Amino acid sequence: MSTVESRPGAPRPPAAVTREPAAEKPAKPFDRPRFLKLFIGLFFLFSFAPIVLVVLFSFNSSRSLQDFQGFSVRWYETFFESESLRDSLLASVQIALVTMLIATLIGTLLAYGLVRARTRASGALNILMLVPLVTPEIVAGASALLLFTQIGFELSLTTIMLAHITFSISYVTVVVRARLAAISRDVEDAAMDLGATRLATFRLVTLPALWPAILAAGLLVFALSFDDFVLSFFTTGESPQPLPVRIWTQIRFGVRPTINAIGTFMLVVSIVTIGLALLLPRLLGRRESGLKVLLGREGA
Amino acid sequence: MTENRFAATFLVPGGLWLLLLFVVPLLCLLAISFGYTDDLGEAVYGTRLDNYDRLLDPDYLPVLFRSVGFALATVVLCLLIGYPVAYYIAIFGGRWKTVLLALVVLPFFVNYLIRTYAWIAMLGDDGLVNGVLDTDLRFLNTPYAVIAGLVYGFLTFMILPIYAALDRMDPWLIEAGKDLYGSPWQTFRNVTLPHTIQGVLAGSVLVFLPAVGDFVSASLLGGPSEVMVGNLIQQQFQASDNWPFGAALTVAMMAFLMIWMVLYLRAAARETRGAEA
Repeated sequence: MSTVESRPGAPRPPAAVTREPAAEKPAKPFDRPRFLKLFIGLFFLFSFAPIVLVVLFSFNSSRSLQDFQGFSVRWYETFFESESLRDSLLASVQIALVTMLIATLIGTLLAYGLVRARTRASGALNILMLVPLVTPEIVAGASALLLFTQIGFELSLTTIMLAHITFSISYVTVVVRARLAAISRDVEDAAMDLGATRLATFRLVTLPALWPAILAAGLLVFALSFDDFVLSFFTTGESPQPLPVRIWTQIRFGVRPTINAIGTFMLVVSIVTIGLALLLPRLLGRRESGLKVLLGREGA
Repeated sequence: MTENRFAATFLVPGGLWLLLLFVVPLLCLLAISFGYTDDLGEAVYGTRLDNYDRLLDPDYLPVLFRSVGFALATVVLCLLIGYPVAYYIAIFGGRWKTVLLALVVLPFFVNYLIRTYAWIAMLGDDGLVNGVLDTDLRFLNTPYAVIAGLVYGFLTFMILPIYAALDRMDPWLIEAGKDLYGSPWQTFRNVTLPHTIQGVLAGSVLVFLPAVGDFVSASLLGGPSEVMVGNLIQQQFQASDNWPFGAALTVAMMAFLMIWMVLYLRAAARETRGAEA
């Protein structure tokens, strides 16, 4: 019998205590099937091989996708020298920036309201806020397209932004709300006892504590919006079209090496954005990692 | 102003936004699905059920079943691949946990189109594999290609919730299982799996929902006999310009998915209430 059961009320003993002297036991009681390591290796191969291929062949000097014939940046030149592709890149950045700013603002307010307000609407709103996260994008894209045409709103970058913001609000709310739920209310009460108004308390006490989560959520939204294809595809106007829509058109015309360059470039943008989202909370002097902020698991 | 009133005003912008740009468009979609296209091809509201009758047409019904079948296959494969990966990282990750988790999430941030395209470059008829091995394997335009594309696209959604569930689990439960002379397999089946079933269910729903509605994978990796409901919807809204029928397809799909969404949302709402209590 292990000592764990003989001392029911005691705090968990260190692993060494439970070990019977003679018996060989792993430091953790979990089983470690031997195939697991091989499996993980294959898994990472499966996930990274296609991406490595895209990055590698974006530097290929020939059109071939089968053999690498020498280093060259000609596909990047093709990308950046094409005026229409540059316009598309600019459009994607604009959409992502506007989406980030507006969705972060609205989503943060919504998070605060959902945690602190107890109204009849907040229960329904809590569910409504989560629905966009599980709605297939094609449904949202088709219905947004329908709405814009019904009210005679011409399709343009603005319609893409509106569609993106609608979806991004929920991401921001989920991330910020998790952080908010972990903050002690006593600090806010203390500020109010000292004569601060509710608004001043929100501005001077609550908001500073929320910054890491707001920042991380904003950057996540930027990356998602920059990468989004389906919503943009349904709500885009004639020109300029965001980059993913252009990629779609190009792929449908056949495999072209320029796509490798565009894909690699977008990958770098995403990695930088997500890297910032993970690192900034740390740089702001918090102990918790950005990953935990994003997953909403800190302090819970 | 009471705290409640103060906080409630914060709900207004988000609430209005979601109402006007999410709920209203869905209602428009529902309304137009009972409509028809007039002689000029314009969508007109109406009270007809023709579009829904058409769903049962032998041209379209198999597509609906196929979409569900492909999505289910995707869920099963994601589970078979995702559970061991999540298990390894959560239990044996040690100080590499964060790095490994980041590596799992990283491919997800490569544009979905580019990732799908990479599979074409790799496994296409004149792609890398056929070039290097000098073979003539046919991968594109098969159901396997479409399902592989879906698995590759949504696997992260399966791994993260299972990882979270395993990470939360008390390792001493397994010790208890062992003390009761459970074999590794019995311990896994009777202890570990039941304790992480919430993560498995959440992951399954999060993979199933986007997989059913996907059209990218089937468009790029599949042929005419791999068409999914997403492709039909996309065609109706763009090329064939029959919005009422496209709307009916979308509504039917949503109605089917609603069951899974409700199950998931109830669990998610319960979890946040628990965290705040």
